[in-house]
Amino acid sequence: MSQQKRKLEQLQRWMQTVISAPGGITAGIASEEAQREIPLLDHQLESVITRSSQQTSQERIGIYANAYYARLLECLSEEYAALVTAMGTAAFGAFSLQYLQKYPPASYTLGELGARFPRFLQESRPEPESQAEAADWTDFLIELATLERVYSEVFDGPGIEKQELLTAENLKAVTPEEWPDLTLKMAPCFRLLQFQFPVHEYITSTKRGETPAIPDPHITYLAITRRQYIVRRAAISEAEFFLLSCLHQGMRVGEAINEFAAAGLMEADQLAEQLHVWFKHWTESAYFTDVNRRDDSKVV
Amino acid sequence: MRKPRLGHENLGLGVGLRTVHFSHILEHRPEVDWFEIISENFMDSNGRPRAVLEQIAEHYPIVMHGVSLSIGSTDPLNRDYLEKLKGLAERIHARWISDHVCWTGVAGRNSHDLLPIPYNEETLSHLVERIRIVQDILERPLVLENPSSYLEFQDSTMSESEFVCRMAEEADCGLLLDVNNVYVSSVNHEFDPVAYVEAIPAERVVQCHLAGHTNCGTHLIDTHDGHVVDPVWNLFRLLHQRTGGVSTLLEWDAEIPPFPVVHQEVLKARQYMDENLPAAQNMKTEIEPVHIDSQAIPHPASFIVAEVE
Repeated sequence: MSQQKRKLEQLQRWMQTVISAPGGITAGIASEEAQREIPLLDHQLESVITRSSQQTSQERIGIYANAYYARLLECLSEEYAALVTAMGTAAFGAFSLQYLQKYPPASYTLGELGARFPRFLQESRPEPESQAEAADWTDFLIELATLERVYSEVFDGPGIEKQELLTAENLKAVTPEEWPDLTLKMAPCFRLLQFQFPVHEYITSTKRGETPAIPDPHITYLAITRRQYIVRRAAISEAEFFLLSCLHQGMRVGEAINEFAAAGLMEADQLAEQLHVWFKHWTESAYFTDVNRRDDSKVV
Repeated sequence: MRKPRLGHENLGLGVGLRTVHFSHILEHRPEVDWFEIISENFMDSNGRPRAVLEQIAEHYPIVMHGVSLSIGSTDPLNRDYLEKLKGLAERIHARWISDHVCWTGVAGRNSHDLLPIPYNEETLSHLVERIRIVQDILERPLVLENPSSYLEFQDSTMSESEFVCRMAEEADCGLLLDVNNVYVSSVNHEFDPVAYVEAIPAERVVQCHLAGHTNCGTHLIDTHDGHVVDPVWNLFRLLHQRTGGVSTLLEWDAEIPPFPVVHQEVLKARQYMDENLPAAQNMKTEIEPVHIDSQAIPHPASFIVAEVE
């Protein structure tokens, strides 16, 4: 094709294909996608990219090709720092390369670059030999990535820093008769997560600069939120997780407590006292922001 | 007659706002003249980055500098992006909005790199048309920066300086002259950086960038990871003489030292504002000390890491 007729769009599609080719620029130039835009043999590259007295055309476009994966890998490594520790730099790099090919960056913000990485790891996992197989190293890596991504989303997502928070004192205004019919509005930064491994402890350990061993499986329930712009995570009991999940789904308080009682996670005589302790703690932790009546009007 | 800096104030000597310096700035409120932000790091933020920015904006002038406008791309302009850009600018009273003469992706993708365009009549018309649209949406002049580049196209029919000058005049936009980028590209493409700076329409230069780069032996890479070298300071002096002074900012994006070190680096610019110093032309052959690094990655890569208890 003569260069006079070469359009900017063709040139851009060609260059993007070549610099993002996982096999390098020679493979990129030879690829069907690049050839469709600019049919070219490797030694003809100078018909598109000029050489300098110091560098060949290949070397010059190679700078962009080297930078493409290196830059994106650097960003992914920062977001998934604990995963890098767990997998090792080489394995993380190899997975990242595959991820970036399957889900090439499309957003204007690097904040979205790693959004689908946990899903990608899930999609890439080998089929377990049997359904009953115990949680393995792959599960651990997927859960680690999932929690690191949640931390990113909670850190920069909507929060509650600019609103007045509920206090235990506020809640005293609610009469015992009112409680069963009320719903709790959870904070927009609140997340409930269940894992097969204590991945939160692993991440905390790596943030301290340690290189912890892969932990043994241990069912872990986490409540995550953000206060004063810092992500807070708390390991909670199965019972607490169950009840918070019911409330998080929008059940009325009475309905949630009935579900909880029916699940048999706690003796009935302990329930009343435990509920009081939990609601006090959840209020102090700002897990919910409003207590609403059936018609969505606020009680406090 | 056009006003200098397109009518914008000379804000003095500023520093690129980076998350590692947030606490220092909030605690010490240093006597820096102004800050520049990477727009994309704050546009969608509902967390600490945005909250800190709003606090800092109460005390310092803020300029917004983007890396994803992709003004040279053949993809449609991203209206949602532009509306968010405009919204943030209004919220923090940004003095102006800048980005680069480049493209970042095509076919719906974003390479997160500042990719070069061929400099010819077709691409000039393309950019001018898009700059006008962006300016209409933003309701303010756009300020565009000359990029560092590592290759040139056979399709180019004019020099980068000619392209940038004509683009600014025809689109009626401002220029952010990055004298480090001029220097980096001049070495990579073997042109005279002094002639480049002399060709730029001085009254359209709203801002100047300074930064460090990495010498890779056969070429330079714009890494923003160190001190400004003497040949770049000489170009700054020439620009200062030509413009009478514009808002000047230091970018430091990798191996970022404590804030006072970064601030001190930009304050060195004062030494090059002395009208009695020898003319820059006499020093254009000065050679920078060589410290070769072949692993360097060009800027930009600015990712904000979550803070967890």
